Amino acid sequence: MSDAGAGGRADRPSTLFSASTLIGPATLLVAIGILAPMLFLARYSLNLYDPRLLMIEAFSPANYIAFFSDPFYLGVFFTTLRVSFVCTAVCIVLGFPLAYLLARTGSRMKNLMIIGIVIPLFVGNAVRAAGWMTFFGSRGLLSVTLMDLGLRDGPTEIMFTETAVIIGIIAVNLPYMVLTLQSVLEGIDRNLEEAAFSLGAPPWTMFRRVLWPLALPGIAAGTILCFILAMNAYATPVLLGGPQFRMMAPMVYNQFQLNNWPLAAALAFILMATTLGLTVVAGLMTRQSFRG
Amino acid sequence: MARLQLEGLSKRYNEFYAARDIHLDVAEGEMLVLLGPSGCGKTTTLRMIAGFVEPSEGVIRIGGEDVTWHPPWKRSTGLVFQNYALFPHLTVARNLAFGLEMRRVEKSEIDRRVHDALAMVRLDHLADRLPRQLSGGQQQRVALARALVVRPDVLLLDEPLSNLDAKLREEVRIEIRALQQRLGITTVMVTHDQEEALSMADRLVVMKEGEVRQIGSQQELYERPVDRFVASFVGRSSFLRGRLADGILRTEGGLEVRCSDGPNGPAAVAIRPERVTVAREAPSAENVFPGEVEHVSYLGGSIDVRVRLSPKDVVVAQMPNVEGGWLPQAGDRVHAGWSASAKAFADTETEEGTAQVS
Repeated sequence: MSDAGAGGRADRPSTLFSASTLIGPATLLVAIGILAPMLFLARYSLNLYDPRLLMIEAFSPANYIAFFSDPFYLGVFFTTLRVSFVCTAVCIVLGFPLAYLLARTGSRMKNLMIIGIVIPLFVGNAVRAAGWMTFFGSRGLLSVTLMDLGLRDGPTEIMFTETAVIIGIIAVNLPYMVLTLQSVLEGIDRNLEEAAFSLGAPPWTMFRRVLWPLALPGIAAGTILCFILAMNAYATPVLLGGPQFRMMAPMVYNQFQLNNWPLAAALAFILMATTLGLTVVAGLMTRQSFRG
Repeated sequence: MARLQLEGLSKRYNEFYAARDIHLDVAEGEMLVLLGPSGCGKTTTLRMIAGFVEPSEGVIRIGGEDVTWHPPWKRSTGLVFQNYALFPHLTVARNLAFGLEMRRVEKSEIDRRVHDALAMVRLDHLADRLPRQLSGGQQQRVALARALVVRPDVLLLDEPLSNLDAKLREEVRIEIRALQQRLGITTVMVTHDQEEALSMADRLVVMKEGEVRQIGSQQELYERPVDRFVASFVGRSSFLRGRLADGILRTEGGLEVRCSDGPNGPAAVAIRPERVTVAREAPSAENVFPGEVEHVSYLGGSIDVRVRLSPKDVVVAQMPNVEGGWLPQAGDRVHAGWSASAKAFADTETEEGTAQVS
């Protein structure tokens, strides 16, 4: 490679902003802020817990065995998976039409619509959950309205149920799904839809044969994002689910509060491994079907 | 293969007509080209035929059947898009098979017809490629084959050549036209490129501002344009503006130009550059004016000479590039001459300035 005549290497902007310079700070932050604590947690999860002595140095899988052999923990685990799957599925079904509309509209209101979708993200999860509480309670807006309309005789209790948590998480996650899908759908040439129509494909067939496969990378990204957020939801299950309803993230925190660091660390790792595993599987599946 | 009829077709958006009262009758196997500047309604008309735009008024018939309210997927039209719109996730062969699968054609029949269609555009060796692995010209041929493989009644071409480079364009132009004639398929093509239109069409439709200005053969449009717009859009013309009275146009610059008769009043005479003679001595012609060469464009096959006849009047002459011929220079005193058959039009349009060659 001849750089002669182009001046010294040092004053070339490409050197100044070389790859390592650009990713350096973020890498450092990740290394110190995430990797190090995770290594500690991984080590902790292999320790043992004693109510009196708290943490005992050990190298034992006891916490993991306890988790997978205890119906209570497994129940929480499957509740978390179920809620996450339902929330993600509903987000796809609700989000796709909305994202499609946003991607295809020529309306001047488009920016306003996008702002409308982003604005809920400005409200913290806890604040939003508090809002839902006033709506879901037995004396809340929904219940009272249903009674006033004569649709229900007694109060409707949604508060402190799985339904309330699912609705709450969907409300949090939907904007992420819509924005992810919208950006992908916008990249799909509208002429492709028309080409399919003119070749004889009715709308549903067009969707199945053209739009869906082309949007698959975006659907995968949105699904993964949505699923991770649901699996790790904390404020929504605590506030809308109440003390009887348990999901993984609040349980991790509970164990920390009880000073059972080894079990909390093990729970955290199980949650993380499951999320990661399912994400990888989803990624592989979409890649394969996209090639096929 | 069928006759296509548009009867009083209009598309209105509130007060604005994108297409207005379009009457067209395309015979079986005919190639009709809609020609006009952008925004003239040619694409709207094509999209109405394809079924993507609902007409506000009028009827569309294909093979005599009223298809005005049929959705696109129930019409027998094959559409080739300007950007080809090949399905990026499907191979060339699967792109072609798509329309046949929609028509529930048998698998073995699909394979055979896809193969034949690809052979027809000489791309059978690329059947398993993805569209992005093809060149622009190849993609264009795949798009054409995809539209034709379902044997549509009507083939619709939306600016099919505008994404190709100039050399390739001429080649593909000839290829599309030959294919269209061999298959005898009724075709409507949309273009803004007059050369493309003239070289491919059986008949041309010149459109402007949503309306059809003139329908006719190449020669009819060129020799007998109905208005100033057609004269400027099909072929080139220099315009001399003034007032017409009894076959003589008095220009603002004081020239008296003999021309075809037209309505008395403000008028413009269209003068075709290749019919203007420029010489140092006055040539023999019905209109001869002295002038000064303003600009010379040496184009190879011909030479464009811009001659100022008066402070307000300019004509352009296209001189054949004859071996050893005279080459005028800017500033030369010359004479320009042309016949009295130059067409005069009522001068109602103001968008073109005087003496514009377009």
